[in-house]
Amino acid sequence: MKILLTHIFLFIFVFQVNAQISDFQNISFEKADEIALKYKDETLHNLPDLVYKLTSELDTDEERFRAIFKWVCSSVANDYKLYTRNKRKRQRYKNDSVKLNQWNTKFQKIVFRRLLKNRTTICTGYAYLVKELANLADIECEMVHGYARTSTMNIEKLDSPNHSWNVVKLNGKWYLCDPTWASGIPNPETYQFQFEFNSGFFLSDPKIFAVNHHPIQEKWFLLEGSTPSFQAFLDAPIIYGKAYTYISDHSYPQKMENEVQRNKNFNFKFQLQKEVQKEDVNLVIESSFTERKIHPEQISIQEKSLSIDYKFEYTGYYDVHLYIKDDLISTYTVEVTR
Amino acid sequence: MKAQVTFTKKLWYVTILMVAVFAFNPMYGQSGTTTSQNGRIIKGTVSNPQEPLEGANVILKGANEGAVTNKKGEFTFPVALKTGDILLISYLGYESIEVKIKADTKFIKAILSDEVIEFMGAVNTNKRFKSKRKSKN
Repeated sequence: MKILLTHIFLFIFVFQVNAQISDFQNISFEKADEIALKYKDETLHNLPDLVYKLTSELDTDEERFRAIFKWVCSSVANDYKLYTRNKRKRQRYKNDSVKLNQWNTKFQKIVFRRLLKNRTTICTGYAYLVKELANLADIECEMVHGYARTSTMNIEKLDSPNHSWNVVKLNGKWYLCDPTWASGIPNPETYQFQFEFNSGFFLSDPKIFAVNHHPIQEKWFLLEGSTPSFQAFLDAPIIYGKAYTYISDHSYPQKMENEVQRNKNFNFKFQLQKEVQKEDVNLVIESSFTERKIHPEQISIQEKSLSIDYKFEYTGYYDVHLYIKDDLISTYTVEVTR
Repeated sequence: MKAQVTFTKKLWYVTILMVAVFAFNPMYGQSGTTTSQNGRIIKGTVSNPQEPLEGANVILKGANEGAVTNKKGEFTFPVALKTGDILLISYLGYESIEVKIKADTKFIKAILSDEVIEFMGAVNTNKRFKSKRKSKN
């Protein structure tokens, strides 16, 4: 009887472990997060020692990597002024490679000094730190450079790479993460950075990641099959940070700008990561002067596939925002014609 | 009288013992560095191509042992190292290097080169998008 029980236990356990390897949904990162927060105020002066503190009590690479990732995201603040200064210079020197290189060399010194002294940085600093710490823990990790899109970005000016993130190899498989965006959001008016860990940017699904991340090297999409073109990336809808906590794939509409005839169905389709209640799904429809919150009648959620059909009654040009509970997920523009 | 002899004898033993300790200890150390079978203390410096690096990390790979360089970029590794041990020398913003302890290694002079990184950053925001073009009705 005892042996039988042991076998059953082993079977369930091994089964679970297998499921976790392909997908870390069932792993608890509580202990890793706890350790990261315990050492939150450590400095960057002794990276090997920091890595030892963060990882020595953890058993798996995914937990060790989580502790490193969480530490970087909770201890290093985004330096908004440094970001705007670099952006300005890069824009100015974008056609002058000599000057751009000179600036880069100078800027690199500034960045590392700031990182050591104030523990503040910009994207590439986050990605660099995650890579360095992971490598010290014997975890394969790379920086990825490319393009990224947010709601406030002017995409017409997006002509050179503007963002850096990471890929990490765990159990023989590469995963995506974005430490800068996971750490929080700076307030563009006050320059104050607000820490707000978003676990959606940790080992994100490549499909949702590709909606607003476009790596220079195609292999880092980590997508099976075809990868989106740069134009498709520019045309894509805007998704927000919270999208990464609810959605694994944004299927439809594939474009930001849409057109539909009035009283015809307009379809939205997503793959969900977790259970969502129909009543929590809302649209906010904004025209020049009005804003209406609408709970669409035609919502279906089947096997984590969320589909919304909505009929616009009046012609016009609208910004349409999708919300789940109070969380802003995505935005589209819809021109409703006769 | 007898007691005093014993005392002198004891003193004698202690003296011999101390002489032995002082005499053999350096020899022990020497044999260590020459035969390289036993561990030995390694010193070194870490610099970039221009100047010494203060605060560079020197660790023994696979162990939680390490040293940090002083103002002159110097370090003394705190534990004895054996031939074949690997030291990992790193500093934020420089390419890390690995140094293997060879049979004749006594002093390590490490020069780290700048890591060439192009810095950029896109700041995320949760500000809701608002289009500029709106209908007239």
